[in-house]
Amino acid sequence: MDIISQLQEQVNQIAGLTFNTFGTLQRDAPSARLSQNYPEPPPNPTEDAASFPEQPKQMSAALVKAAKQFDALVAALPLSEGGEEAQLKRIAELQAENDAVGQELQRQLEAAVVSMVAERELKLVQELFGQTTDNCLNLKKPD
Amino acid sequence: MATATFPPPPPFYRLYKDYIENPKSAPEPPPPIEGTYVCFASSYTTDDVLPSLEEQGVRQLYPKGPNVDFKKELRSLNRELQLHILELADVLVERPSQYARRVEDISLIFKNLHHLLNSLRPHQARATLIHILELQIQRRKQAVEDIKRQREDAQKLLKEALGTLAGQ
Repeated sequence: MDIISQLQEQVNQIAGLTFNTFGTLQRDAPSARLSQNYPEPPPNPTEDAASFPEQPKQMSAALVKAAKQFDALVAALPLSEGGEEAQLKRIAELQAENDAVGQELQRQLEAAVVSMVAERELKLVQELFGQTTDNCLNLKKPD
Repeated sequence: MATATFPPPPPFYRLYKDYIENPKSAPEPPPPIEGTYVCFASSYTTDDVLPSLEEQGVRQLYPKGPNVDFKKELRSLNRELQLHILELADVLVERPSQYARRVEDISLIFKNLHHLLNSLRPHQARATLIHILELQIQRRKQAVEDIKRQREDAQKLLKEALGTLAGQ
């Protein structure tokens, strides 16, 4: 996947981690005492108390890792020289060079076609010569 | 406008009955559309450009200008985002009823991030074009070299053959 799409995916991942973190913590947190007027909150069920303090730590670690990954991807962006104009200039240069090389290629192709014709004629001559010599050697009458 | 549940296809096929004999007897295809058009009761535009943030009613957090330093802005937006997330966590602990403003700030930062990334795409397209042109030039040069070499080899062979023929 190209780097910009990776960056976009990473942003969406950070967003997902954020709302999952807040949603889970809000849903699973044990009750807290708001004021002295209210009675003590009921004791928490054991399943919550066992793994609960781990959850914020793990989730925040995941968030920080995702943010670091985003920074690493940003550092890997191949943003060469700045400016749209520089790129457009380079494209114009490359087009000119491409045209020149294309014309050179065209000339070479035509020259190659010409020399192919000469080669065929030479082959013909060689063949006739071979036949003549064979006839001479074998003392055959010419057809 | 036909509003039947399953409208029949448009009847233009009848106009092309004699197309094989006389290609000019049938109408030309319609010219390409320019500007905005309506398709299935929603309007589309043919001019594909990324609308700027102000047009979408979103505040722009990174400085505007001809050349934006993308890496710096992306990194600073990332830091801002982390700080806002921490702020939201604090607000939820201290004053839970004031979450709305913080959530709005976070979504603003996300919108800015995505807009920055989208405005990198034209740059990527031009860079891809440059890369393709360079590859093409390299391939053409290679082809020129190959053809030249083959021609020289062929000419050498021909000369040798001529030489042997003349010798005999």
